[in-house]
Amino acid sequence: MAEEVLTGWRGWLESAGDQSVFLTRFFRNIFRGGFEWSEFVRQCYEIGYKSAMLVCLTSFIMGLVLILQLRPTMVSFGAESMLPRTLAVSVIREIGPVITAIICAGKIASSIGAELGSMKVTEQIDAMEVSGANPVQYLVVTRILATSFMLPLLAMMGDAVALIGGYIALNITDKISFLLYIHKCIGALDFTDYMPALIKTVFFGFAIGFVGCYKGFHSNRGTESVGIAANSAVVTSSLWIFFIDMLVVQITTLLYYS
Amino acid sequence: MEAVKNTREKPQWRSELKKDEIVIEIKGLKKSFGKKEVLKDINLTLKRGENLVVLGRSGQGKSVTIQCIVGMLIPDGGSVKVFGKEVSQLSEDELKELRTRIGFLFQGAALYDSMTVRENLEFPLTRVLKIKDKRELDKRVEEVLDAVGLPEAANKMPSDLSGGMRKRIGLARTLIVKPEIMLYDEPTTGLDPITSREISELILKMQEKYKTSSIIITHDMECAEITSDRVVIMNEGEYVAEGTFDDLKQSDDEFIRSYF
Repeated sequence: MAEEVLTGWRGWLESAGDQSVFLTRFFRNIFRGGFEWSEFVRQCYEIGYKSAMLVCLTSFIMGLVLILQLRPTMVSFGAESMLPRTLAVSVIREIGPVITAIICAGKIASSIGAELGSMKVTEQIDAMEVSGANPVQYLVVTRILATSFMLPLLAMMGDAVALIGGYIALNITDKISFLLYIHKCIGALDFTDYMPALIKTVFFGFAIGFVGCYKGFHSNRGTESVGIAANSAVVTSSLWIFFIDMLVVQITTLLYYS
Repeated sequence: MEAVKNTREKPQWRSELKKDEIVIEIKGLKKSFGKKEVLKDINLTLKRGENLVVLGRSGQGKSVTIQCIVGMLIPDGGSVKVFGKEVSQLSEDELKELRTRIGFLFQGAALYDSMTVRENLEFPLTRVLKIKDKRELDKRVEEVLDAVGLPEAANKMPSDLSGGMRKRIGLARTLIVKPEIMLYDEPTTGLDPITSREISELILKMQEKYKTSSIIITHDMECAEITSDRVVIMNEGEYVAEGTFDDLKQSDDEFIRSYF
């Protein structure tokens, strides 16, 4: 029993050490010469453009459902006119970035984990390394930077689509002009709503890219490990997203609201 | 079809080389994984221009030996010198520089499956040799594809290639940077006998063309017969016999004879 616990802790510490080394390798390789621009652009396309439809669809439904769920309660308080403001604040500050990040963790972290895991199993990463090329620079730096760059853009797009979804839901029962709706939404928001939300999406993107790459790069030999890497990448990056969210909310509250 | 046996006279380029120049020297190499001692005491030398075949059953540490040569694995003990430099003591940049002089053909060819054959071949040229000139890249790609007999394959994806073709392209990608040493990890595994023979003959042909020194890890006796200048047999992490293919074939030792 004690030995089992000890082995578990030792494994956890080893993994933490490996991740620190991997993080150091990532930062060291960003500033080395020969940045892989074409691969970075390709990854932005794969990660950003190819996830856009999914993010839009889920954000639209989320905005629509939020209004449908909120409306009866708001009506009972006689606060119907507050619906656009409530939706805007909740979507921009919290729900939009987190839902976008969770969707991307499911789609992108798993795909990076599986791709790099499969490259590891088929010795493609070893082949890159022994040829004298730099697999971290080509595979890891480009992917992590692409997720960090694309997540804020996806989240902003998701926020906008969620607000459109909310407008359509509102117009099912009430009549409100689009201009008035947008005016109310924007009027409810200020700098302290936009910026922390935008900044945290960069960290969400970083966590998704980093965890996906780490899990793929460190998968064992054997086809089963590819599935394990993909699965583990989703679970771990989702946990990191909630953890980062909690930290950012705490810091924002301390900075702006205390 | 009769196999081309490596009993040919040494070609002109080999006699021009510095005789007995040792390019790889391994002394007392030890490597364990957990409690399993894979390499116990490996001593090996590779001379310039030589084809050394390492024979042995699966799991005897043959691949581990060549992984130690390129610094993919760090030995637990002993010494691995390549071009006179101790591999385990090289800095990251020195190791990278050394690796540009060594080609490594993996068992499954390890082609980058998201890239076309041309992109696979251009990868080490642009990343390692930093060649950016399009004409130079095209020239090198065409030359090496011709050499391995697949001039039409440039725009194919690895998934469109057969096992033998993948091995040829893997060999082409390794040779395109003109390495001085080639390490082959079971080059004929998983291929039919005819393709295996073609790959073995190609190894020999490429050695003549690119003037490489090679270590060929295999348990394919025909490959060993075709390609070897010298053969060592490995068992349980140690080398148990060394000689030419014909010498070992005529050995009185029952274990050695069991290979033939």
